[in-house]
Amino acid sequence: MADPMHQFQIKKIVELPTVTVPGLGAIDLSITNSVAAMMLAAALVMAFYTLAARRAVIPGRLQAVGEMLYGLVDGLAESIIGHEGKKFLPFIFTLFAFVLVMNIQGMFLVFTSTSQLAVTLTLGLMVILTVVAVGFAKNGVKFFKLFAPSGVPWPLYFLLVPIEILSFLIRPITLGLRLFGNMLGGHVVLKIFAGFVIALGGLGVLGWAGSALALTSVVALTALEFMVAFLQAFVFAVLACVYINDVVHLDSH
Amino acid sequence: MATEHQGTTETTEAPKQESGGLPQLQFEHWGGQIVWLLIIFAVLYAVLSKVLLPRVSGAIDERGGKIAGDIADARRMKDEAEAQARAAAAEVAEARAKAQKTAADAKAKASAEAAERQAKEEAVLAEKLAAAEASIQSARDAAMSQVRVVAEETAGAIVEKLTGKAATAAELKSALA
Repeated sequence: MADPMHQFQIKKIVELPTVTVPGLGAIDLSITNSVAAMMLAAALVMAFYTLAARRAVIPGRLQAVGEMLYGLVDGLAESIIGHEGKKFLPFIFTLFAFVLVMNIQGMFLVFTSTSQLAVTLTLGLMVILTVVAVGFAKNGVKFFKLFAPSGVPWPLYFLLVPIEILSFLIRPITLGLRLFGNMLGGHVVLKIFAGFVIALGGLGVLGWAGSALALTSVVALTALEFMVAFLQAFVFAVLACVYINDVVHLDSH
Repeated sequence: MATEHQGTTETTEAPKQESGGLPQLQFEHWGGQIVWLLIIFAVLYAVLSKVLLPRVSGAIDERGGKIAGDIADARRMKDEAEAQARAAAAEVAEARAKAQKTAADAKAKASAEAAERQAKEEAVLAEKLAAAEASIQSARDAAMSQVRVVAEETAGAIVEKLTGKAATAAELKSALA
């Protein structure tokens, strides 16, 4: 059986020089399969919206899909953040579209960038750094009120503030790990079951039954993975909205 | 995991550099991925937020505006049509009132003329009647005065015959009165 982890192996496609950044160490800027998949995803999003963003009053199919996805994220930002959600819509939409296309790409091509921990953690950190930046820009020092929710008897703060700080610091990690885990798990399971189809198929008549069962599972799991691919991108966007909302509406926190 | 990997080394041509474990945890690949991710994301964000998303939201807003405008137009036209219908109804009512007034005027004028003509005829007839009556009266008066004269003469003649002497005119007159 083929190694189910082999699909996640980073390989260099175009060799580029390694840059040494003081304090961070050597960074290999070669274009790997992961980087290529990310570039393709971004290119696909841009190409899609170049074609879909028409100004037709009666939309065609492509335009209808493009506007539906935009409307989805727009409604999300509006319902969670309120009318200030419009300001963050491009950021949330970029996250959503980028993650979605990378996830879906993994269902068709050989590499899934969102199954790389480096990628998902960076995306999670980007969200949290945006939250921190927005929080400070909007509230100044009062940003720290985020860690001390009002309406609590003061002795509880000794317990509550560390918990709040911890839960805030853990957010980028959970954001990144959730996406990473879902993508990794799905693709590994698919690979293993697909491996069963071949391995059991060589074991004679009884093996064929097991092989057929495994094949059925692969088909069902593929459908499930398409749903997960969309759902995880959606969840990422929802959580980004929720975290941004926390600092936008700090007064009502 | 580990057992699986031992199984695969038989089929794969050479043992890989990593000794099992997640390829995702080969940290030598992290730096490049992160830097490229930031660059790609920044480019994607810039293009989407500056060029493409405004087009999408513009199209959506335009459509909403057009629909709202069309509805407002339709409503305005409906109001206009209703106002025109009201004006037409008022015009019809006015025309009907005018026609009725004209008819009434004509009738009144005709009856007034008829009455006038009748009155004129009556006046002429009354005049003729009065003239006839006057001529009858004068004829009668003339006849009556003739009668007195005849009576006086007759009385004078009778008196003369009986008495042999003629009576005076004054005596005759007082006797006849």
